[in-house]
Amino acid sequence: MGTVESLLLGFSVALQPDVLWYAFLGCLVGTIVGVLPGIGPLSGISILLPATFGLDTTKSVVMLAGIYYGSQYGGSTTSILMRIPGEAASVMTCIDGYAMAQKGRAGAALCIAAVGSWIAGTFGVIMLTLIAPPLATFALRFGPPEYTALLVLGLIFLAYMSSTSLPRTLLMACFGLLLGTIGIDNMTGHFRYSFDIAELGDGIGIVPVAIGLFGLGEILSTPSASVVGKVIAPKLRQLLPSRREWRQSAMPIARGSVLGFLIGLTPGSAHIISSFLSYAIERRVSKHPEEFGKGAVAGVAGPESANNAASTGAFVPMLALGLPTGPITAVLIAALMIHGVPPGPTLVNEHPNVFWGFVASMYVGNLMLLALNLPLVGIFVNVLRIPYAYLYPLVIMFCIIGVYEVSHSIVDVWIMLIMGVIGYGLRKFGLDPAPLVLGLVIAPTLEMSLRQSLIMSNGNWAIFLERPISLVLLAVCAALLALAALSLMRSRKDWRSRLAEAEVGENQ
Amino acid sequence: MTLRSDHIAGGVFVAFGVFVFALSGDLPVGTLSFPGAGMMPKLVAGLLIFFALLLILRANESAPIATVPWGDLPHAVTVVAITAAAIALYQTLGFLVTMTLLLFALTFGAERRHSLAAAAFSIGVVALTYLLFAAALKTPLERGILGF
Repeated sequence: MGTVESLLLGFSVALQPDVLWYAFLGCLVGTIVGVLPGIGPLSGISILLPATFGLDTTKSVVMLAGIYYGSQYGGSTTSILMRIPGEAASVMTCIDGYAMAQKGRAGAALCIAAVGSWIAGTFGVIMLTLIAPPLATFALRFGPPEYTALLVLGLIFLAYMSSTSLPRTLLMACFGLLLGTIGIDNMTGHFRYSFDIAELGDGIGIVPVAIGLFGLGEILSTPSASVVGKVIAPKLRQLLPSRREWRQSAMPIARGSVLGFLIGLTPGSAHIISSFLSYAIERRVSKHPEEFGKGAVAGVAGPESANNAASTGAFVPMLALGLPTGPITAVLIAALMIHGVPPGPTLVNEHPNVFWGFVASMYVGNLMLLALNLPLVGIFVNVLRIPYAYLYPLVIMFCIIGVYEVSHSIVDVWIMLIMGVIGYGLRKFGLDPAPLVLGLVIAPTLEMSLRQSLIMSNGNWAIFLERPISLVLLAVCAALLALAALSLMRSRKDWRSRLAEAEVGENQ
Repeated sequence: MTLRSDHIAGGVFVAFGVFVFALSGDLPVGTLSFPGAGMMPKLVAGLLIFFALLLILRANESAPIATVPWGDLPHAVTVVAITAAAIALYQTLGFLVTMTLLLFALTFGAERRHSLAAAAFSIGVVALTYLLFAAALKTPLERGILGF
């Protein structure tokens, strides 16, 4: 079946009324999750995961993915109207978005952010449609050595792209890999670090770790007294940007879409990194860089487009290779696995309804979000008026329900609490918890493929260098490590450390 | 020498790596041609200790430990204590009672909101959530020894 026929099949699935309803529900919840500070898309997806158990696979993944890309739209509302990032990827939008709002252009900023997000999101889905199936076909050639090399490359790429230092990121990834070894060893049946707790036999779940680190950890380090903000409420008639503002936003949207999609393919917090990079690029190429920070249209259009394209780009490795590029796609993979559908090279051929239905639903979902975010902005603004003192207890309640309902295990809820405390500690010491989750997710696959490779080669490590695909992947690893070591030895600041400094500066 | 945050963080992770090695004593490493259950954990624990030592060696780039702000610690301890109590009671008292107590304890106890407002909020939100999960999402929430 060609791409067009496959896409038509996808639309025949995605346009069914019940699939449309779950796509709408996901987009709506995603927008609310994005609007509310302190609740990220990860918490939203994890909390609603148990509610999808009764649904079929397509509806589940359509709804959960809608929360992810919907949150990228919603995050801009809080950034523009309150100067508080609704979610991490909207940090850069705060600067010029809020400055535009103070000039009375809040409506125009919201409209540019929504239209930019729509264009970038749709561009991302078109690229996903074109790239994912051939990539999945290519990935069918992958054996254990190739998967080992690919996973190692993923970790090193994450460390290289990280705005914190390489040792810090790899330290966190190793911590996650160690947590991932808890439970029964699939090859020999040994119990590892389970301390006679039966629930630990299956290992530590992604959901309690992710909700604990990101949901609870964030709440613990945010006392309610520190959350204050004034909401600027735009009127409906003020939503249309002027002709000059449209012109100023066109190229930043185009650049942000391409940049965001490419970064989205790589491991790490791509939607966050892409918005920072897009802002830096827009400021660099602008004829009026002095306007940045004072309400530059490009400072809203670029980052908002980039984070939406990146969130779509992240679905390419997830769907085609079965590899998560971050904690959110890891939870989406868990959702597919719960329904007995393994993501990866076989998904396109063995479950075309799920794959193409999901892809088509994203075209529809992006349109829904455009329709939701502009006319209903007044309603979303009211959500921001809920005092944080009432909001965070509610989030804690949903965290407990979300974790418990996955497998009705109270041990998982205790793990979530412990991870919340660890997440709080990691924040205090400037350690990023995202590589930890990624390490936990890839640990079983990495261990299995590494051991299978060694068994295949009768203990000869050269197997990784004898196979062309793994050799190329490992050569890229070596090049990235050499680049990182070079900048370390020269003690000079490369683009990543400058980005990290800009990030700290902009947050202050 | 000024004690810095990376000295503490690195030290904690070195200790954790050593602890993992100590726990892994009975896990067989196996051979290269047939790696055992202990190979991966010991390999990763070794890498963890290596990166933690690097962190300690480069600790001068981090902030002095005295400058790390801990003003949010009392709030964090209160939230953790209340949440731990709720988790301990969840399977015994069930969703309705435990979550009402959790929300009330956080809004009235931790946030010092008016008792009536906190009670109304706790009861209303928990009842709505219970109905939403039971009726709309067809996922009944945990029942306690009282039968609800």
